[in-house]
Amino acid sequence: MTVQLDDVSVHFGRTCALEGLSLTVAAGETVALLGPSGSGKSTALKAVAGFVRPSSGRIRLAGQDVTDLPPAKRGIGVVVQQYALFPHLRVADNVAFGLRAARKPKAEVVRRVAEMLAMVGMTSYAKRFPRELSGGQQQRVAIARALAIQPKVLLLDEPLAALDAQLRADMLGELQKLRREVPEVAIVYVTHDQSEALALADRIAVMRDARLVDIAPAAELYATPPSAFTASFLGGANLLPVESVGEDVKVAGHVLPGVRSTPGKELLCIRPHAIRLGSEGVPVRVIATQWRGSSNQLTCTVDGLPDVSVRIDLPADSDVPALGAQVSMVLPAEACSLVPS
Amino acid sequence: MLVWTRPGKALTWIAFAVVFGVLVLAPFVVVIAAAFAGTWNGVLPSNPTAGHLQEALSGDELASLSVSLQTAFLGGLLAVAFGTWGALAAHGSRFGRVADALHHLPIAVPSVVVGLGLLVAFSRQPILLNGTKWIVVIAHLVLMVAFSYGTVAAALQRVDPSYADVAASLGASPARVLWQVRLPMLRPAIASAAGLSVALSMGEVGATIMVYPASWRTVPVSIFALSDRGQTFTAAAEALVLLTATVLVVFTVDRLRGRAVEQ
Ligand SMILES: Nc1ncnc2c1ncn2[C@@H]1O[C@H](COP(=O)(O)OP(=O)(O)OP(=O)(O)O)[C@@H](O)[C@H]1O
Ligand SMILES: [Mg+2]
Repeated sequence: MTVQLDDVSVHFGRTCALEGLSLTVAAGETVALLGPSGSGKSTALKAVAGFVRPSSGRIRLAGQDVTDLPPAKRGIGVVVQQYALFPHLRVADNVAFGLRAARKPKAEVVRRVAEMLAMVGMTSYAKRFPRELSGGQQQRVAIARALAIQPKVLLLDEPLAALDAQLRADMLGELQKLRREVPEVAIVYVTHDQSEALALADRIAVMRDARLVDIAPAAELYATPPSAFTASFLGGANLLPVESVGEDVKVAGHVLPGVRSTPGKELLCIRPHAIRLGSEGVPVRVIATQWRGSSNQLTCTVDGLPDVSVRIDLPADSDVPALGAQVSMVLPAEACSLVPS
Repeated sequence: MLVWTRPGKALTWIAFAVVFGVLVLAPFVVVIAAAFAGTWNGVLPSNPTAGHLQEALSGDELASLSVSLQTAFLGGLLAVAFGTWGALAAHGSRFGRVADALHHLPIAVPSVVVGLGLLVAFSRQPILLNGTKWIVVIAHLVLMVAFSYGTVAAALQRVDPSYADVAASLGASPARVLWQVRLPMLRPAIASAAGLSVALSMGEVGATIMVYPASWRTVPVSIFALSDRGQTFTAAAEALVLLTATVLVVFTVDRLRGRAVEQ
């Protein structure tokens, strides 16, 4: 089922939480809504679920206008940020809630609950209460409950945000597996973590200040970010001001071989791991080094660009320059892209 | 603790014990002593007897206890129902603040005034309740509804609205969301509102004394009447009965709440 948002705005009193969002999610597609805190991601999700009423714009499911339909009539699976498992119901009753609301026959409820609990690996916890579960287990139950009603659309609001780093990595794998089990479901996945978005999403929609900034397939958005905000938010790219001299592009007075200048795009975007140290490059001074296990990260100032600092990730086994050392950085043309400032 | 030295600590404890003992404990002790006193002419009571207690548990006085319990349960439980209903309706509504203010009116207005108001309003056509037990029940209902409303409204503030949202998204009708998600999650608050209402109702005098008919006299009113007639010891025995009954009732309601929380 296709989810379609058509110029949807949401206002809470005088604050505008979502402004003119247009977005289409095809059946079987995963779209991540990525953005910093307060950028309107949850609000967009709530508008699709029917929890908040848009102040303007339309929402369509499979072409049908559902803007005025209450949540109960939309048939959408929702997992909210804090899971919201019903505390007075056991795990199995939580999962059965939607089936009972639909007045399914008892035998079918039992069968389907068992099936869902097996899918998320929670069969042996069926008789527990939510507060007797860990965060990761609660999250699985919340997903099982949402999927029990066999929705055609699944909305996930930061499902991993409440988990610690190790568990988050495990659950990310589980979500990928789950994705393959419901291949026809359209998924909207809200997150502020770029690695989750890159791992799960077919397309990523970057949000900022209640607006959609960019939307593109994940790989494309990462490789050639269309805006400075997306470049730094998705993958923490370095942004360096450039001057155009004819066809050439100069950083701090040094010509970058192989990079063609484009009118209106005055920032050079390059990922920290794409920068190498060499002899023929832009001179920089090391002001901090940080060992990160798999890499060494240098923070450098660029001579001639007083307000800019550059982050460079060096492989863990390479030599790390001393603090204060003058080195020169090489910016390979294939890793560079230009964005408007 | 701001006081650290040993004598300092001891001194503060003694001061606390004296204040607590004189102001809180002493009246209790005196009431219990008086309830069993045959005579009390000196410093201490003499001729201990269980006669007053027997009196307090027979005839009119026993009927009073039954009246008090019935009024407390009827008025208190209706108050909880109305208070919960009101709190749920006001929650998230534009008129929430108005409803808050209206519900708090019976707390702000002296109970005697509430009683007088009911008496004047219901002593004439079209609604003639004066002289029936219902005017007492309504007086208690009006006074207790404010407390129930306050307790439930405060609990509602703390419940994350996403529970109801998620329930709705799973296909539950508004009625199902109310009965199977919102009310069960409010159960501890509703139980504590019930305990509070029943306890307050058992002790209510101000409004009751304005409206009660001879056939529906609550224990506090009986105590007042007895002591007014100079039968202090019987009044004390009756007070002891009221105290015990209230503690038992509140304790029972509280146990129910404890179980609700455990579940
Ligand atoms: N019920 C509400 N009443 C008033 N303002 C709200 C309400 N819900 C959200 N907002 C405001 O709308 C904006 C967007 O909120 P939203 O919850 O969509 O952000 P978000 O992107 O999900 O952030 P986070 O990552 O922190 O969850 C915020 O500025 C927030 O303060
Ligand atoms: Mg959010």
